[in-house]
Amino acid sequence: MSARIAGTGWVTPLGSDLRAVWQRIRNGERAEPKPLANPESGRIHHYLPVPPKLVEHLARNPRLRRSSAISYFAVAAALAALEEAGLEMTPALAARTAVVFAVSDGGVIYTRKFYEQLVKQSTASPLLFPETVYNAPASHLAAQIGIDGASYTLVGDNSVGLAALKLGEQLLETDEADYAIVVGCEEIDWVLCEAYRDWRLAGGLSGGHLHSLPPRGAMLAEAGAAVVLGRAGRFELHAHEGVAWTRRCDAAAALAEAVRETADAGIDLIIGCANGTFIDAAEAFALRDALKNEPPAIFPKAALGEAPGASALLQVIAATLALAEHDRHRALVPVLGFNQQASAALVSRAD
Amino acid sequence: MKAPSFARNCPRGKWNCRLHRATRWRMKSAPDFSSALSQPPAPQSKRRVAVTAMGVVSPLGCGAEETLAALRAGRDCVTAVTDFDVSRFRSKTAGRLDEGKLEARAAKLPRSARLHPASRMMIAATCEALAGDPGFRPELMIIGTTSGGMSNGQAFFRAQVEHRRPRERAVWLANYNPQKPVLDAQVAGGFSAPMQIIANACASGTNAIGHAFALVRAGKHERVLCGGYDAVSELVFAGFDSLQASTPDRIRPFDRNRTGLVLGEGAAIFTLEAWESAVKRGAPILGEVTGYGISTDNHHLTQPHPSGIGPRQAMERALASARRRPEEVDYINAHGTATAFNDATEGAAIAALFGSRTPVSSTKSMMGHALGAAGAIETAFSFLALRGQFLPPNINHQETDPAWPLDIVANEAREARVRCVVSNSFGFGGTNASVVLEKSDEH
Repeated sequence: MSARIAGTGWVTPLGSDLRAVWQRIRNGERAEPKPLANPESGRIHHYLPVPPKLVEHLARNPRLRRSSAISYFAVAAALAALEEAGLEMTPALAARTAVVFAVSDGGVIYTRKFYEQLVKQSTASPLLFPETVYNAPASHLAAQIGIDGASYTLVGDNSVGLAALKLGEQLLETDEADYAIVVGCEEIDWVLCEAYRDWRLAGGLSGGHLHSLPPRGAMLAEAGAAVVLGRAGRFELHAHEGVAWTRRCDAAAALAEAVRETADAGIDLIIGCANGTFIDAAEAFALRDALKNEPPAIFPKAALGEAPGASALLQVIAATLALAEHDRHRALVPVLGFNQQASAALVSRAD
Repeated sequence: MKAPSFARNCPRGKWNCRLHRATRWRMKSAPDFSSALSQPPAPQSKRRVAVTAMGVVSPLGCGAEETLAALRAGRDCVTAVTDFDVSRFRSKTAGRLDEGKLEARAAKLPRSARLHPASRMMIAATCEALAGDPGFRPELMIIGTTSGGMSNGQAFFRAQVEHRRPRERAVWLANYNPQKPVLDAQVAGGFSAPMQIIANACASGTNAIGHAFALVRAGKHERVLCGGYDAVSELVFAGFDSLQASTPDRIRPFDRNRTGLVLGEGAAIFTLEAWESAVKRGAPILGEVTGYGISTDNHHLTQPHPSGIGPRQAMERALASARRRPEEVDYINAHGTATAFNDATEGAAIAALFGSRTPVSSTKSMMGHALGAAGAIETAFSFLALRGQFLPPNINHQETDPAWPLDIVANEAREARVRCVVSNSFGFGGTNASVVLEKSDEH
């Protein structure tokens, strides 16, 4: 049994309206980078923020008022996806609905603030620590929609969104749930920018230019993305479980294996994962190696940047929008993580 | 973007919201927890799920044999923390692993000196599990953790604050992510498998085992490697201190005089396989996982609902999944963190569901709270109890809190006939998980 995509929602640097953002991606627009200074060294980074106005309506929510941006993104994206799915949460429905939350770096703003207080003041606020826990956004989301059953938070590299979709698919297959709200989010802080820059995965203002040689690094971004999985819906989803890799020289082969095992023919469209790093070349190699034809490819990270916890889900949502727009039936979503696993998903029109 | 009506109505007038009204009703009216409304149906397929091997490293010992001896002896393995400054914290102690014992396993890996302690724990536990069943080929790896290589993140941040750019920062970054210890364990174990890393706070380890069980039971996988790991770090130590959840005293779960938790660390790994498949290839069988229950308590991010509804739902769902009645359970390995809130709600839930007839202990009394690894380590302790036919003790016990009539296995291990065990884990975010573990007669 394949899972169906019943609804989708996102909050991105380009907005939160599904079709309007998709149109801007198709038009080749790029979100505006915002500078973010490291107050310790003065070093300037750039990232793509989610405009605060997209989530500020949630600020009066008592459960969210002390939480970090990542929880706002999670709730905003999930509510939009539920609305698109036409699901009104009754207690009976909530009892059969699971939350699966994907995260890569977690509540990094509060984590940095908490540790900063500890280092500089020797004591830290008890209000900060609970929000540093990886599953805090999932908890806020479950409370918001009244889910008292299964709630899972998955952590990993930027392939974690597909791992979360797979887990959601598994919860439906094992009949633990009738619906799974799969959400992935990322928030950005200067310490995260420092880390990705030092890791040579993020570029400065020149980051995010795809397929350049040598790679200039990704443009880090904030985002929230949500996919409601159910047994009915306009799109069928088949997510690969993933292929682990440990050395970069094995990454392309791992992705090729995941793509081959997901679908090697009959693909009308690719929603690629190129982000301006070593991933661009590895993805290109893997697709050439694994696919029999060369379908057109769209790379949403050129417009939306790299939001590691959310980006795979953003690709899947982009796939549904692309399929809805054109006379195309099957879209491949290849995903290569930074340092964990490669994966892929096949999104098909259910009709 | 227009939010759905339940969300729009929620923020200020939450009891006007249909959803919250329903939640309140369920909480306030001494509910029938077994109602079909809150009870997910049992999985369609009912395959038996064998545990063919396990590996465990904890303050109680490296390996199952050392651990078994320490459990029987009721050894207090909480020691002073010396690797970071604890002078400003209430608690000065934690259950720590003997790093030296882990070195040997990790030494096989290239650049082993650079590995984070969490990687060394994962490597030791994984290699022990795979050595126990050399024919086991994992199709999937599901691991629970809360903080990964957090101490590397701390070091990176400190270097920023101190305006240093040491060469080690590349090593810190490479070994910071929670997936790194899992990948290191795969390399050391000589296999490669897709992975799901569950970060459901302190329930993570039990969730990992429970989800692996659900997949094997439903026929989605034949063999899954699962478990959990966590290493003590300054940030987490300070975090629990800031919440005043940690204690300067000894950890005394379910005690009238309990004052909080101490942290612990470790890893435990299990090889789960469909029963038929394990029998067919003549694999050793340690026991079975027969049930799993998960629930989410939406009361508060860090505090459980006082009624104990979350823990009770998790235990009820696990028993329903195992098709067991409460009176068939011989021992409960409780979450038992010795904090005021956890023990009050868990004690109430156990008393309401099991009465005083089922022996209960919290093995955290011996080693502290290993967070994301706790559920996996305590599952390992439970299998050792099933194997050794004894009940691990709840040490440091003075006087059982009179709020609940529990049969606490106080201070000394108890010889007993143990066939069926429930192991509980509850965490921040209201995540609750329970597993049912059983001894199998056939092997």
